Amino acid sequence: MDGKTLADHAVDYGESLGAEYVEARFVNSKNENYFARNGDFLSIQEKSSRGLGIRVLVDGCVGFGSVDVLTKDEVKNRVESISKMAKLSKRETPIEFSEEKTVQDTWKVPVNIPFKDISKEEKQDYVKRLDEGIKRSGSKRFSIRNKIKNRILFLHTNSKDKYIVNSDGSNIRSDESFISLFTILNAKVKDSSEQRMLGLGACSGWEWLKEENIHDFVVSESKKLVSTVEKSRSVNINEDIDVVVGPEVSGIMAHENVGHPSESDRIIGREEAQAGGSFYDEFLDIDDQDPLDLKQSEIKLGSDDVSVIDDPTINRSPGFYLYDEECVKARSRYLIKNGQLNELFLNREFASVFGTHSNGAARSSSYSREPIPRMSNTFFEPGDHTKEELVEDIDKGLLIESFTEWNIDDRRYHSKYVGLEAYLIKNGRVKDQMIKRPALELTTPALLNSIEGVSKDYEYRMNFCGKSDPMQPVSVSTGGPYLRIRDVRLG
Amino acid sequence: MVGYNFEEELLKVGVETALKAGADEAIAKLIDQKKHQIRFSNSSIDVNKEWSSYYLDVLFTKKSRFSLTGKINTLTVQDPDVKRVKKNVPKHVDLLKHLPKNKLYWGMDDGSYTSYRSLDIYDDKIEDFHEKAPELVKKTIDSSLQNGADGVSGVIHSESSKIGVLTSYGNGGIYRSSFCRGTVRAFNGRDSSGQDIVVTRELSNIDKKFERAGRKAGILAKKGVGSKEGRAGTYDLIMTPTVAANIFGNLLNGTNPIMMVSGMSPLKGKMNEKIGPEELTVTEDPLIQEGLNSRPFDDEGTPSKKTCLIKDGELNSLIHNTSTAKLWKFLGMLKLKLFRRPKTTSNSNLTQLGLTGTEENPRTLMPIPSNYRFNTGSYSLDEFISTSSRPTIYLTSNWYTRFTNMSEGEFSTVPRDAMFLVENGEIKKPIRNLRLKGNLLEILKNIEGIGKDPKQVRWWEVKTPTFIPHIKVKDCKFTKAKGQ
Repeated sequence: MDGKTLADHAVDYGESLGAEYVEARFVNSKNENYFARNGDFLSIQEKSSRGLGIRVLVDGCVGFGSVDVLTKDEVKNRVESISKMAKLSKRETPIEFSEEKTVQDTWKVPVNIPFKDISKEEKQDYVKRLDEGIKRSGSKRFSIRNKIKNRILFLHTNSKDKYIVNSDGSNIRSDESFISLFTILNAKVKDSSEQRMLGLGACSGWEWLKEENIHDFVVSESKKLVSTVEKSRSVNINEDIDVVVGPEVSGIMAHENVGHPSESDRIIGREEAQAGGSFYDEFLDIDDQDPLDLKQSEIKLGSDDVSVIDDPTINRSPGFYLYDEECVKARSRYLIKNGQLNELFLNREFASVFGTHSNGAARSSSYSREPIPRMSNTFFEPGDHTKEELVEDIDKGLLIESFTEWNIDDRRYHSKYVGLEAYLIKNGRVKDQMIKRPALELTTPALLNSIEGVSKDYEYRMNFCGKSDPMQPVSVSTGGPYLRIRDVRLG
Repeated sequence: MVGYNFEEELLKVGVETALKAGADEAIAKLIDQKKHQIRFSNSSIDVNKEWSSYYLDVLFTKKSRFSLTGKINTLTVQDPDVKRVKKNVPKHVDLLKHLPKNKLYWGMDDGSYTSYRSLDIYDDKIEDFHEKAPELVKKTIDSSLQNGADGVSGVIHSESSKIGVLTSYGNGGIYRSSFCRGTVRAFNGRDSSGQDIVVTRELSNIDKKFERAGRKAGILAKKGVGSKEGRAGTYDLIMTPTVAANIFGNLLNGTNPIMMVSGMSPLKGKMNEKIGPEELTVTEDPLIQEGLNSRPFDDEGTPSKKTCLIKDGELNSLIHNTSTAKLWKFLGMLKLKLFRRPKTTSNSNLTQLGLTGTEENPRTLMPIPSNYRFNTGSYSLDEFISTSSRPTIYLTSNWYTRFTNMSEGEFSTVPRDAMFLVENGEIKKPIRNLRLKGNLLEILKNIEGIGKDPKQVRWWEVKTPTFIPHIKVKDCKFTKAKGQ
């Protein structure tokens, strides 16, 4: 029996058992991994998998399950068991899902060159050539010493077709394609070493590698890593300075300091034993505020220059989708607009808690995971300045282009970002002098209120965002424009 | 192998089909697994989940005539039967010719093992445990609420597996395994929380275990009320088992040769060096009855055995499978360290390798730790506190450990839940909003005392089950974010 028929059967059968809502998701997926260390392949593997995830709402309680044995009997058994388990939950406050428009549609990731059209040898060859390029960037001509001691390259491709159907009458078919390149580079000069983890990726076909010139970009980043090891010096700066952060750093800040606290399930507390809560719970009142239009509440979180957007509809971006995993049409969202809290991430469960509609933020990493509110492509809205303009009025400061260590507390308030490629700014100019591992350790309001000046140019990076239990890593964009952060003290 | 005729037949067909199709060696691994999970927050159940998986992984290799390494490929057959296995395996064996030699594949265990240690790692009470679990959640929540919490979140996860392994050398078998683990996080207001965990295979007294965890989390949440902003500075540190398992586990993961060759281990070049105090001994042990990753043999059919990773403070061994042991022996020969003849430590695992962390990832063969076990010392928690003459922080939970440079071990981690300042041998006050910054090697060296109260830790932030007591470390640096 094909996946669509099984998914339809799951919904029909769940309804016949009396469920208030049933949703089924069939995913047929193919993954390929090419994992190399210093030019030698440690693993080349592929895997095809098919599975069906089913979610039911029974007596105001949610049951979720999945099967990888795709028979009608197995699906029937799973619907019965999760319906029974949901009933056993006996919540005092019933869970409801928001009313949403019924849709039947299809969408797909535009692909020019499908992964299946590229031979395994060609994929290996790409990784080998990239490794060779990185290797060359770490050594002088005719020298046998290489400053990049460890080069880990991980090329991953995924293509899948998905069918989601629910008891409201919606169904969405999608044809998706994702490619990513993750690199870990270790550069060492004498006793000093630095490590660079760089994620790049897109919802695209094989053409992405060429069109974005990924090879040259990674090689240029590896050259910068060597410069960082060779030139960076520790400096004690015991005064408030201005810091300009590049797209990679502004991207992780948008993700951690703004994106995560905007997830409605965190705010309500559903992730408290796992990925944590949100400091937004201090000023949000679920009875009085509309999470899709929080402007009215005038909750000021940052300077007027701060606007943060999450937009899943950006073609080819790592977090691209046109319908979410609950058949809700995707759209762009202003999380913060001109410094004021504007909108949260909602799936149908938490839209209902707030008494409103979903804004299409439900994502799941696999057929075996439940859909929950997630980010897609989260970034500071580009401004009017050039990078040079952001720097030119700074007497003494830093430019931080990339980062290494970072973390943030589970309410997303106390964050830390350690710079990797960082330069001294003096008298309005970026100097050659590089600064070793400057640490920005700021609260979210301190960070967002100190932003004065945003560049008009931006770049994106890819990362996997982790959340939930079992863990659900989903691909997201973590890039953005340059930001000027005024009067901050380094940690 | 005893019984399980159908599974035996499938494993045999997997191996024989691969060999017949031209593979030199093969492993078949059958997984028949059922998992359940209940998540709760705000003192109510959010979702009740059930997963089942049934698949056969087949690994096949092709040796090289002129090289020590070989080619390797894997295939996962979902809902396997003899017909599917016979149809799919040959096509994938054929794909080996398109692959280069795998520099990490140096062969598998070709010994012949007639028997394996019998482990009591399956409790048949697991079969209907999920039906009783909602009531267990309720008792856990009540226990927390009665002891100081005003809201409770958490998770209870249970798992039952039948696992079969057969290699082309005739090694392996079929065994059953089951366990339950859970996290309880209790809150008292916005600024105070406490957490405890339950990790066990033994389901007889499961109610009491969860009620105890609920109570402990509730008490911690209450004790944390009225916390003051912590001050950045250098303190001695008392870690609960949960914290110690996270921080030291990150270091122990560096005993994996894959981490070492990837530049992700601070332990590179430290073999036989003193890296911790004399009192510290750590083993890697797949034979601990209660250990969540215990098993009678690994995925090469090598009988499970205990390995001493750190002995009396000295780095003593890495974890290996057959391939990495041979690779390490070869690398030792190149460095004229001919006395170094590592052998497999029975850590071979047909594991998923990928970034997306789900069943969809491809598998490969590499060393994976089973359970870590720290030796116990002589201190109780009360003694750690009462003997603290310098300013000390007692940290009950942490998360988000990240590295500046994994090869150096520079990291920071964020305290979460109740944290206390200890002065003059007493808990002075609850504190909040600090960050622990350090170096894994330095923290290990600075261990001042090891507790006598080991506990198995496995939760969101600790993936390898770790038996570890409270641990006290001197001179730890805490930093603080600027801004209100």
